Amino acid sequence: MNKVHRTALANGLRIATVPIAGLRSTSVLLAVEAGQWFEPAGRPGIARLAAQTMLRGTKRRDAAAWATALDALGAVARLDVGAHAAVFSAQCLGDDLGELLGLIAEAVRTPALADAEIEFVRGQTLAHLEKDERDTRAVSDRAWRGLVYPTGHPFHAPAIGDAAVVRSATADEIRAYHKSAIAPDGAVLIVAGATTADAVKKAADRAFGDWPKRAGARDASYPPVALAATKRRVEVVPDKTQSDVIIGWPGLPRTDPRFTAVRVTNMVYAADTFASRAGNVIRDQLGLAYYVFSGIGASCGQSPWIVRMGVNPQNVHRAIEVALDELRKITVGQIADDDLALAKDKLVGELDVALESPAGVASMVLEAEMFELGEDHFERYPRELRAVTKEQVIDTARAFLPPDRYALAVAGPALPEALV
Amino acid sequence: MLYALEARHAPVVSLWVWYHVGGRNEVPGTTGMSHFLEHMLFKGTTKHPKGDLDRLLARYGAQWNAFTSEDVTCYFETVPKARYKTALELESDRMRNALISLEETEAERTVIVSEREGYENDPSFLLGEELQSIAFSRHTYGQGVIGSKDEIKLMTRDGLYAHYRRFYAPNNAYVVVTGDDEPERLIEEAAAAFGPLDPSSDLGEPPKAPEPDQLGERRVTIHRAGGTLPIVMLAFRAPRATDPRAAAISALSVALAGTSAGSDGASGRSSRLHRALIETGLAADVDASFQLMKDPYLFFVDATLRPGIKHADVERVLLEELAKLSADLLAEDEFARVRRQLLASTAFNTDTITWRAYRCGQLLSTGAATSISEWYEKLAVVTREQIRDAASGLFVERSRNVGWFVPEDDVA
Repeated sequence: MNKVHRTALANGLRIATVPIAGLRSTSVLLAVEAGQWFEPAGRPGIARLAAQTMLRGTKRRDAAAWATALDALGAVARLDVGAHAAVFSAQCLGDDLGELLGLIAEAVRTPALADAEIEFVRGQTLAHLEKDERDTRAVSDRAWRGLVYPTGHPFHAPAIGDAAVVRSATADEIRAYHKSAIAPDGAVLIVAGATTADAVKKAADRAFGDWPKRAGARDASYPPVALAATKRRVEVVPDKTQSDVIIGWPGLPRTDPRFTAVRVTNMVYAADTFASRAGNVIRDQLGLAYYVFSGIGASCGQSPWIVRMGVNPQNVHRAIEVALDELRKITVGQIADDDLALAKDKLVGELDVALESPAGVASMVLEAEMFELGEDHFERYPRELRAVTKEQVIDTARAFLPPDRYALAVAGPALPEALV
Repeated sequence: MLYALEARHAPVVSLWVWYHVGGRNEVPGTTGMSHFLEHMLFKGTTKHPKGDLDRLLARYGAQWNAFTSEDVTCYFETVPKARYKTALELESDRMRNALISLEETEAERTVIVSEREGYENDPSFLLGEELQSIAFSRHTYGQGVIGSKDEIKLMTRDGLYAHYRRFYAPNNAYVVVTGDDEPERLIEEAAAAFGPLDPSSDLGEPPKAPEPDQLGERRVTIHRAGGTLPIVMLAFRAPRATDPRAAAISALSVALAGTSAGSDGASGRSSRLHRALIETGLAADVDASFQLMKDPYLFFVDATLRPGIKHADVERVLLEELAKLSADLLAEDEFARVRRQLLASTAFNTDTITWRAYRCGQLLSTGAATSISEWYEKLAVVTREQIRDAASGLFVERSRNVGWFVPEDDVA
């Protein structure tokens, strides 16, 4: 990893810069603690409505003028709401960094949030929600979340939210959310590529230096979530040929010291369609699915830890059985030494390969900075991955992935047999 | 042919092997054969049984995969610099020595059917596949890439093996490598790996099935319950990558829809289609795309409609926007934005080592340019007049193909 230059503004905004020689472009990530975790309880979708409206005009220029200025730089940018943060991600030519940060700051700090623009975003969001109703991936995701997280929990619905909330959200509610959630406290700015630490500090000072801190503290804590028994839901989506299957469990916060063992366990089990146990058996040996992969989100809550598969309805039952069977083997210690070594090697090796792109570098640094993993994280992390033992993998699987207590959601054509 | 580019910003190397075989080399009854074969190249050789080298690559944290298009089949590995030789060993070995056993063919068949069924869940895929098929009456581009489900089920091991022996050989491939070393050295090592391999003696002539001129609009409508939002998709006949107009047509697609797809994104919102369809509440999403291809292919324009909007209304607005670009020059400031987006996106893509190698291979294999910098220069000198002329040449009724996706109520 190239040297990470860290600094902070007086208002708390932390900045990490990774200059990379030989590039023409710069990747920028501005992560603000305004993800699902910080949404008003029971109002899923407010954070995304606010974020999308922030892209539609500022106090200084209307939506068309702001969009024109961004395109004039040739930059690409988007603002996504994740489990933990709302992340502005962008790429520009190195010389344009100051102008790009100025545009981002305008949108984030002083959006117009005009009534007409809120209505526009509402219409777009409802169109996407309607599209999702017949999208098997979206249907299975929503069904699975409903099984695991109680109503009112931030992960009960996907970030796009519930249609009822999107329909009923008022302009005042969105403006209030912006005022309370979008602040430099806890936010991080990551810049990687054709730039210098000095240039980033100067540009960030200009763009964000007088961004006021949040007034008052926020309370974002929720009772722990646990599955007391297996839960299943099958959603029939008409006119489809393939079923989307999710088997999953509530995860653990990124800051939990066991998270490194979680990453290794995930890789041993199902993270990669080819290198992990589940993919190897389900796809490569049995030919039951084109893709099988698992993942766990990084947030300060219990993000989903899920396995996803795309399976012909005739094979759904068997694919689920095999996926759980491979998990059972891990929980009873049937882990080949080479499978464990492969998982650790792959995770360590990927850290090097990710250096090939400024976006890859920025993404790694963002996780480290967002969750305050320490200035020596990139030096420690490969060692910590390598130090994970078979016993830790077994314990992790038993604690977080019990094969006799899971949530299962299937969306697609009607299944030939009931799932039990 | 071997081609190398230096990229010193990270200690990795990206190796790409481009075979001149794809959907265009198939005949009815064997559609999807090149794609099926791509899957079989991951099933081992005599020297390296299935799982041997790929497990090793995974151990190195490699990014590696393959894809098949109408024109080419392509394999790549991005690895730590010290593992370049392993990537070369994998690719040179499977260029001539893949096993393609009967047992593995049967096991993989259901995986490929599953891949196709996943695509079929997407209304855009269904509409695009139908539109592509009606746009070509002779050229094999009309068959697409993945093949029909029935033909995937009928594919034979012997047919696949014959296809493999014929097309997978050094005299039918481009090897492109980008990474943290001197180009001469990267080429030298690649030459040592691929040089000793036997050429194919059975390549034959490239497929020749010139598509006759289209003489009028063609239309297709898909009625399905598998989607909720209507779609309008237009496909106009477009020239091949070597055509002098290719750079201007690339700029035209940026003028229409920007460089990054997706209405959630913040960029591309000053584009013509975004303003005419998304800002007016007619569409939830728009896109325009032009691919660099060996033979004349298609320029696609599509819109996913907002609920309750009529197909005909969106089609009319789309055609009006295309007509404006055909008749009038872009304003100076608009042209400056388009040019900036086009050139910046070239830098963005090529700042990633994997995508630098991909872009280079794509330009070489289609003949669009002999290097990334040559293509950049072609884009840089595109004029407003060329964009207008490209539009007026493309967007004509007689070479227009129109597809509608019409959502139906639940029929389950």
